[in-house]
Amino acid sequence: MTRLRRLENMTGWAFVGPATAHLALFALFPIAYAAYVSTFKWNIATGSHAFVGAHNYGLSLHEGAFWNALWNSLRYTALSVPLGMALALAVAILVNQRLRGVTIFRTLYYIPAISSGVAMAMLWIYVFLPENGLINAALGLLHINNKTDFVNNASTAMWVLVTMSVFTGLGPRMVLYLSGLVGIPAALYEAASLDGATGWDAFKRITLPMLLPTSLFVLVTSTIAAMQLFTPVYMITKGGPDMTTDVVGYHIYTEAWVDFNVGLASAKSFVVLVAIAGISAIQFRLTRANLSDYSA
Amino acid sequence: MTLRIATWGTGEDDSAYAKKQDAIDLEFEQENPGVKIVRDIVPDQYPQAMVMAHVAGVSPDVMMLDASSAAVFMNNGLVTDLAPLIAQDKEFRLADYFPNVVDIGRRGSAVYAIPQDFTPVVLFYNKRLFDAAHVPYPDGNWDFAAFQKTAEALTRPQDGIFGYAFNNWMPGWIVWVWNNGGDVLNPAGTQAAGTLNSSQNAQTVAYLRDLIEKAHVSPSPSMTAAMGIDPFASGRAAMIITGHWSLIDYKNAPKDASGRPKVDWHELGVTSVPHNTPVANTVMYESGYAIPVGCKHLDVAWRFVKYMTSQKVQLDYNSTGIAVDARIDVAKTRATDPLEQEFLPLIAAARAPYGSRVEGYDFLENQGTSAMASVLLNGANPAAALARAAERIDLEFAKR
Repeated sequence: MTRLRRLENMTGWAFVGPATAHLALFALFPIAYAAYVSTFKWNIATGSHAFVGAHNYGLSLHEGAFWNALWNSLRYTALSVPLGMALALAVAILVNQRLRGVTIFRTLYYIPAISSGVAMAMLWIYVFLPENGLINAALGLLHINNKTDFVNNASTAMWVLVTMSVFTGLGPRMVLYLSGLVGIPAALYEAASLDGATGWDAFKRITLPMLLPTSLFVLVTSTIAAMQLFTPVYMITKGGPDMTTDVVGYHIYTEAWVDFNVGLASAKSFVVLVAIAGISAIQFRLTRANLSDYSA
Repeated sequence: MTLRIATWGTGEDDSAYAKKQDAIDLEFEQENPGVKIVRDIVPDQYPQAMVMAHVAGVSPDVMMLDASSAAVFMNNGLVTDLAPLIAQDKEFRLADYFPNVVDIGRRGSAVYAIPQDFTPVVLFYNKRLFDAAHVPYPDGNWDFAAFQKTAEALTRPQDGIFGYAFNNWMPGWIVWVWNNGGDVLNPAGTQAAGTLNSSQNAQTVAYLRDLIEKAHVSPSPSMTAAMGIDPFASGRAAMIITGHWSLIDYKNAPKDASGRPKVDWHELGVTSVPHNTPVANTVMYESGYAIPVGCKHLDVAWRFVKYMTSQKVQLDYNSTGIAVDARIDVAKTRATDPLEQEFLPLIAAARAPYGSRVEGYDFLENQGTSAMASVLLNGANPAAALARAAERIDLEFAKR
């Protein structure tokens, strides 16, 4: 190896070394340690731990409360991701117009994304209060006397989380769609226009297909984020009412840090990891066929 | 040296309570040159934070121990047995404290906490609203039917006044369960099925639901949430079941248009919870001082515990009125106030909370509150809701 080559290698390691060390220390090691912990019946409060092999995985799969949490996460994902993507696309199209002051709107829509999750959750609590909340107060102005306690009602609590997620996730999704929209060659629209395709037809036959790679990215990242939901549940519903918003992120947290069963909680985390990987694989598979036609 | 004291709370530096605490700490520092008191205030999930501190080896020197979550600390040796320190210390007498309050922190001959204060869960009533409805004050000898009759007589829908304010908080409403002859766990404290889901308890839940939905003597949980304030504190409910701590709020109750407080401390009465059982039952929520195991400054920590639970400090501390003092002498001194006096007869029969001996009892309380919510908000059948809760609780207990 020449001296120059060695220097290049060292420079390369100098660049990737810190990030690799960070990844190893704060991601790979904890994951490996969690896998180890998952094979123990381990209560951190009592300090007792006994090797149980795959027992915690079996226990997870036979626990109704865990299935309920998985179901709630899937329900939340199925509701929040499509709604969030649709709204983000609509807003991206709006802020992609050549209008004066449009950057102000782009900034405004992005503000929730850079705000504290806890602070956002506190704000949304006020939106959903039964008497003086924004929604019921607004309905009151329309002479509609609605006193629904959205957060504590089993039929509305999940919608509280979905609504919050759609708006707080709007900024990042909008930016991604905006970059996708900017990347669509204007010539495609001009050619379509010559063929008489404008408005809805152009959107359906050019915009949507050309945004497919962006949509796939937004879909996969939003799904993963939705399956990991925690902060709004912790702040607003605490998994209630009647466990209707007990999603896997919150369920695993309570298993580990409220009930102190870290072995079982670790096993549940790996079950969720497999579930998320499976969902992502299905999403890739369903869209891969179309993707190759439109990717740059 | 620094002595770290862990406690729950909000950490509001400008509150009267915090100022009192600071003054008490300062006096200890002056009496013990070289010692600096630092308060670690944990506003949320205090027991979890303390367990994690233990696991991480960063426990405080002294910690407040809440009876309702004390089991995990006492059952697993996370706190020091104070009995040897008590035996050696001629200045300290455990007999100065209410015996059944001390017993909360005992395991056999071991004593894990010195109680500071406590409160039995009681029924508060607003004499002003009783007088307005020409209803005699309750004397504590009443059953569920008599209570409902009283609540109906006090309810004035045209004025937005309710006879009672039900609060769906299981640590509070467990007294209804006990006073109808029911319970939530088997005697060993290991199983909910067969006890929590008993027909007796289904009846109790149905009774509470009917107070709201049929008799209309209490606002529903949604209405209470909509009011944005405790209906009793705002003078819109004549009776409520809660603990001594609520008196702090009632002292600062909102005022009406004429400037008169909607609830006046001097117009409050305290009595036993209605009971279908031969005697009234209640629960006692207590807080005390414990020393985590491995404390590096055991002598100073013990000195601090003694100081905080001494007559001198408690007379000063308890002037905030947050609870009944665990010291018999201080509680009796404060009982010159007629309202405080009404608490004393209720103490002897008060039970320790399950959380002081059953680990993870908060899971049961959450499930109980959830079951009640499903009945009140979603029309679930009481028996089915309790059966579902019992099943979940037993599954959770089986994991331990």
